[in-house]
Amino acid sequence: MSISYFVVFGGYLAFLTWTCLKSMKEVESLSDFTTGGHRMGLLLGIGTSVATWVSVASVMGVPGQLYRTGVAAIIGWVAGWFLATAVMPILAYKVRRPELPARTFPEFIRMRFEPFERISGLQLIVAALMLVGYFIFCHLQVVGFGIVFNTITGIQYEYAIFAFLVLLALTSLGGFWSVAATDTLNAVLILIGLAFGTGAILYASGGLGPILDAVATTTAPTNVGGEPLEPGILLSPAGTFGWSVLMGIFMSNALGASVAPHWINRFMAPRNSKAAVLQMMWTVIALIPIFLCLIVIGLGAKALLPSLPADKTTDYIMPLIVQNYAPPFVGALTLIALLAAAVSTANSMLLNCGTSLYYDLYRSLYPDRQFDDERATRHLRYSVLVLGLLSVISAIKPPVLLAMGFTYVYGAFGAAFMWPVWFGLFWKRMNRAGAYAGIIVGVAAFIAAKAMGADNPFVVGAGLSLLATLAGVFLSPAPPREAYEAYFDAEVSPSTRAVALRIRRESDHAHETHGAAPLAGEAKA
Amino acid sequence: MLIALSFWGASIAVCIVVSLYLCSRIEVSGVRRWGATGKLFRYE
Repeated sequence: MSISYFVVFGGYLAFLTWTCLKSMKEVESLSDFTTGGHRMGLLLGIGTSVATWVSVASVMGVPGQLYRTGVAAIIGWVAGWFLATAVMPILAYKVRRPELPARTFPEFIRMRFEPFERISGLQLIVAALMLVGYFIFCHLQVVGFGIVFNTITGIQYEYAIFAFLVLLALTSLGGFWSVAATDTLNAVLILIGLAFGTGAILYASGGLGPILDAVATTTAPTNVGGEPLEPGILLSPAGTFGWSVLMGIFMSNALGASVAPHWINRFMAPRNSKAAVLQMMWTVIALIPIFLCLIVIGLGAKALLPSLPADKTTDYIMPLIVQNYAPPFVGALTLIALLAAAVSTANSMLLNCGTSLYYDLYRSLYPDRQFDDERATRHLRYSVLVLGLLSVISAIKPPVLLAMGFTYVYGAFGAAFMWPVWFGLFWKRMNRAGAYAGIIVGVAAFIAAKAMGADNPFVVGAGLSLLATLAGVFLSPAPPREAYEAYFDAEVSPSTRAVALRIRRESDHAHETHGAAPLAGEAKA
Repeated sequence: MLIALSFWGASIAVCIVVSLYLCSRIEVSGVRRWGATGKLFRYE
């Protein structure tokens, strides 16, 4: 390991420590910890969205899938995730409309479908699903981190993953502001690191032409000793998947990711509805160069290293290729970019996991207990730390490829939440029974279809969820005005305002005194 | 390769068009709390 790795990594660690300490001082309330107090500006919003978006599933999984299945990975993962981001502004536009928005995704579901319930069953179900899903996401980031850290330091993977706890603690303990600030640096690091890495790969392979020529003709198996590939298969649109499976992956990533709860949470943080829309538009634009780099690296890797060693999965291709073909300083920058991607996504996922457990499950189940802000944020930090430790332990024996793991969770989230979220935001008639039916049937059908080996479990889950949602809606009464008004009208009735304030008060006693303040004086221009 | 890239390009184009349309809707609404400022790209 060269000295360059120590210099770059040391600088990165110093910045994370400084941001963590600063954020821990600035976080004053539960709203600050969970959504940054709904006052985030555009630049920080873009930085944190880009860094959360770019996870190990993208920076390691996508080149790995390109290496294994060819350009089909562009349709399945890259185009799928971009399409998800393309529809996100439509959701962001609505989610950030209320004067007093929800602070977490389960709370949003509660406010929209069960505003009068003291203990919301929907909030609890959604929080439990999120806890499981984000734990898996977090676990996948730890796996990615372990692979990179093992490649950089030579420390055995099983021990390397424990180093992740240090970084995770540094970025998560300060809450949303710490996550957002470190994410912005991570986004810049990812872009710089990947740009240098791409340059090194292009230089080593002789440019784009030779890469495409090699990919068009190669028959080298993915792993040494494996089955040879059909010539030209890596440049065919459906690649080694076939159209049916590929469309299943594409739709899981596109429709599932768009309603992933951590994104709905992100839409609650900006200052207003327009900032939320612009945040997602600029995020997509900022992601273009990052993904161009990943595509070149994935295909370039096949040209430079036709087959992987028999004991390595394709998730190893990125660190292997960078370490073997890039100069030490460039290699260090690129590998730090991979670490940054793992850290920036994991801290965000962990924050979601922790808030689901503490805020949406524990506090919702015990609404009469007294919680002050200081105690609540301390409890949240403990939850985050314990979940981080558990995700590290669970990653000792990783079961699935990184990109596929994301697809499963996004597919399940999409099947469960797609109709309740979309209908909830755009259809006043959408009600509580429809939400219960859609969420329960969607997730159960997705898991059953996956277990039975269906080509496209997302379509099965989402299709049955749609039928269940519509049946629930039309067989039960229309929702009260207080449930939907804030998402449709600029001016809401006093009763709607009172309901939003009551939910806030029940969840956060600090808002008993401060909650009404931001509402005063805000009116249509 | 071209087919794969066109899927990606189309997704990017959809995002930009949709975002600009939504921003213009906010401007037409005139609601300051939603970010209406009189200019398409300004939000406060």
